[in-house]
Amino acid sequence: MLSDLVRAIDYSDCAEVALVLFCVAFALMSYATLRLTRQATDKFASIPLSDKIQDPRVDLRNE
Amino acid sequence: MMATSIVEPQTTVPSPRSHHVERLEPLEDFSYDDAIVRKFVTATVLWGLVATLVGLLVAILLVMPKLLEPLGWSSQFLTFGRLRPLHTNAAIFAFAGNSIFAAIYYSTQRLCKARMWSDTLSTLHFWGWQLVILLAAITLPLGITQSKEYAELEWPIDILIAVVWLGFFGGNFMMTLIHRRERHLYVALWFYIATIVTVTVLHVFNNLVIPTGIAKSYPIYAGVQDAFMQWWYGHNAVAFFLTTPFLGLMYYFLPKAAERPVFSYKLSIIHFWSLTFIYIWAGPHHLHYTALPEWASTLGMLFSLMLWMPSWGGMINGLLTLRGAWSKVSSDPVLKFFVVGITFYGMSTFEGPMLSIKSVNGLSHYTDWTIAHVHSGALGWNGMMTFGMIYWLLPRLYQAPLWSKKLAEWHFWLGTMAILLYIVPIYIAGLTQGLMWRAMDDMGRLSSPDFIEAVRASVPLWWFRVGGGAMFVTGIVLMVINHLMTWTHRPKVYDVPVYSARRLAPMPSVPTEIDTPTPTSTLQNAPVLGVAKTLDSWSNMTWHRRWERLPIRFTMFVVVSVVVASLFEIIPTFLIRSNIPTIATVKPYTPLELAGRDIYVSEGCYNCHSQMIRPIVAETKRYGEYSKPGEFIYDHPFQWGSRRIGPDLAREGGRQSSLWHWLHFENPQQVVDGSVMPAFTHLLETSIDFKKVADRVWAANKLGAPYDRELTEGPAMAKQQAEEIAAQIVSQGGPVMRTIEGGKTLLRMDSQAVALIAYLQRMGIDLFKPLDAPEQPATPTPVPAVAN
Repeated sequence: MLSDLVRAIDYSDCAEVALVLFCVAFALMSYATLRLTRQATDKFASIPLSDKIQDPRVDLRNE
Repeated sequence: MMATSIVEPQTTVPSPRSHHVERLEPLEDFSYDDAIVRKFVTATVLWGLVATLVGLLVAILLVMPKLLEPLGWSSQFLTFGRLRPLHTNAAIFAFAGNSIFAAIYYSTQRLCKARMWSDTLSTLHFWGWQLVILLAAITLPLGITQSKEYAELEWPIDILIAVVWLGFFGGNFMMTLIHRRERHLYVALWFYIATIVTVTVLHVFNNLVIPTGIAKSYPIYAGVQDAFMQWWYGHNAVAFFLTTPFLGLMYYFLPKAAERPVFSYKLSIIHFWSLTFIYIWAGPHHLHYTALPEWASTLGMLFSLMLWMPSWGGMINGLLTLRGAWSKVSSDPVLKFFVVGITFYGMSTFEGPMLSIKSVNGLSHYTDWTIAHVHSGALGWNGMMTFGMIYWLLPRLYQAPLWSKKLAEWHFWLGTMAILLYIVPIYIAGLTQGLMWRAMDDMGRLSSPDFIEAVRASVPLWWFRVGGGAMFVTGIVLMVINHLMTWTHRPKVYDVPVYSARRLAPMPSVPTEIDTPTPTSTLQNAPVLGVAKTLDSWSNMTWHRRWERLPIRFTMFVVVSVVVASLFEIIPTFLIRSNIPTIATVKPYTPLELAGRDIYVSEGCYNCHSQMIRPIVAETKRYGEYSKPGEFIYDHPFQWGSRRIGPDLAREGGRQSSLWHWLHFENPQQVVDGSVMPAFTHLLETSIDFKKVADRVWAANKLGAPYDRELTEGPAMAKQQAEEIAAQIVSQGGPVMRTIEGGKTLLRMDSQAVALIAYLQRMGIDLFKPLDAPEQPATPTPVPAVAN
């Protein structure tokens, strides 16, 4: 049964399916990334600037 | 070591918005392990010098092929074919490898606010990696090679690489992420994750072999499939060993040096996922117009073109990080190196997709254009980013001011000018070669029918490369001096700050506003479809930020994106029978031809000669019928090559007499005036190990060659064919035996050259054999006139 299934697959469609999969994933990822808040991205981008320990609980306290 | 304590305040932490009190973990003391970074930086500097010196030597050998002949017997270990893989491996795995490890060990600890999980694993990683490099430096000149570009090392070293890379390095890195004290995984760490998992996948699947001894193995793939796997690996080695970790380096060290955050964090996320999604597809662009299926080649081109956008997004993100800080660039050599490095990243990632366009590739492939492209990336991007990082790290690691800022400035200008002096003539050489190979006159004949004409035109340009290479090495010597002198000014005891902080608590059950916003849609009360509300909530990226905090899950998603893309290309290539139609007249190699093929591989002939005639008019006129996929089904490993310093050999069988080949090995210039090929006299003076022929036949049979008598009588059959070839050479005017060192004599039939000639005379002739014709050695053409 498995061999019938494998034989029935037309592998030449792989390239087109892959392209569509990629485009969908890329579009969703880009859209989602653009929706990130400025507050969050500023916080993340500043992480390498200081070697000081940024305990995440400090974030809560500062809210 | 002197400890400086830095203590974080201890408080319980209520969250007013979430009305949630997080449980506090106990305070822990920790410090960063900079000793391991110092080791990797030192190794980077030293291997950088070695890699570029070997590069300079191979560049000189191309213009002075007889330079090392006075060394006599030992010169066989220092031919271009054996040293070129040593240069590429040293540059990639020793110089760039140690550089990315230095970057990762320094930045990961600080981004995670945690010491590396295990100092023992760090140390094992360092010495294990140096052992790999040492073994490569020993085995490659000895001709112990798998002959797959950037994957030449034999199976025991491959296993060692896997253990060191994944077991010591990957394990230590992942455990550090798990035990980190910073909730968010900064984007540089994502690039490191992608590097570790993808290189593991590439390394394992490209190196699946059948060993026949401690220093010899044969890939399980043949011909087209082997070529596909190799360039899936080869291209992604560039992507995930020379690009993603250096982007991680850029996203950490550039903001540090410029003292300002990255220009756009959003762009960095898109940059990361785009590269991860796209890069893995692009490998087949290395095989345009070859026997690879057309669909795979086109797909590779398409995805390569897509790489333009994210790559330039990354470059722009890097350069704009310096907004408002350009005044610093003029006075800070570190930023100068970074600016030039990022600019070369942009140039290389523009040129790479351009070269993947089939019509451009038809001109550029196999020429020096590719070499210029590779060096603009390796010297410009990897080199300059590494140098910038090292100059930034030296004062911090050795806790002493950089010994000479002026020397660093000199290094920068020498390096930059050296790259230009290297690549510009080589671009010209590449264009010259491509145009000369395809040029035809009004009658439709090749304008330069002799391959050597393009070589002669290239030699003056190769001399410029020697000059550029020498300048680049000089710059590295200045860095070695600066490194050494800064080290001598280090304190007697390094100051090691000790930090005191809590571990990360488990992920809060109630999301916090900044770290994990509640996934509610802004369209909650809007009159829209539920799908729109769901998409709106999803795009808040809450899920992504949860992944980012869960390194194992995040890693799995990276693996999935890489593996899915790979499988879409690999499965069809391996499963569709129509991709590799068999040819009834193509038969397995004889035992002697197998032995000759091993010599071809061992000598690194693929570094200068391709075995792939493309379906391009100029090429079929020069070399004969274009290559068919079915011709390579017994080729373990494939030998298509990637450049033509010498002519293509796919249809070499019968083109020249056996005596011509013998004379060519003895002294190439006596039959081809102006040849840049070194002499291979050792092949004339070393006997064939007929005992090993049996192992070779066994391996070929295991890999699908339908042998019968060969399995039991392989060595005897090889000797018989060797006698026939030797008789041919003698009948064409060659001597019966050769006097070798110590006054001994070696019969022609026993010399390795005879086995190699047997293989050369078999190349590409099966296609034209009539069905069921008995096996016959190729009919030689008349002996050409010998120059001396």
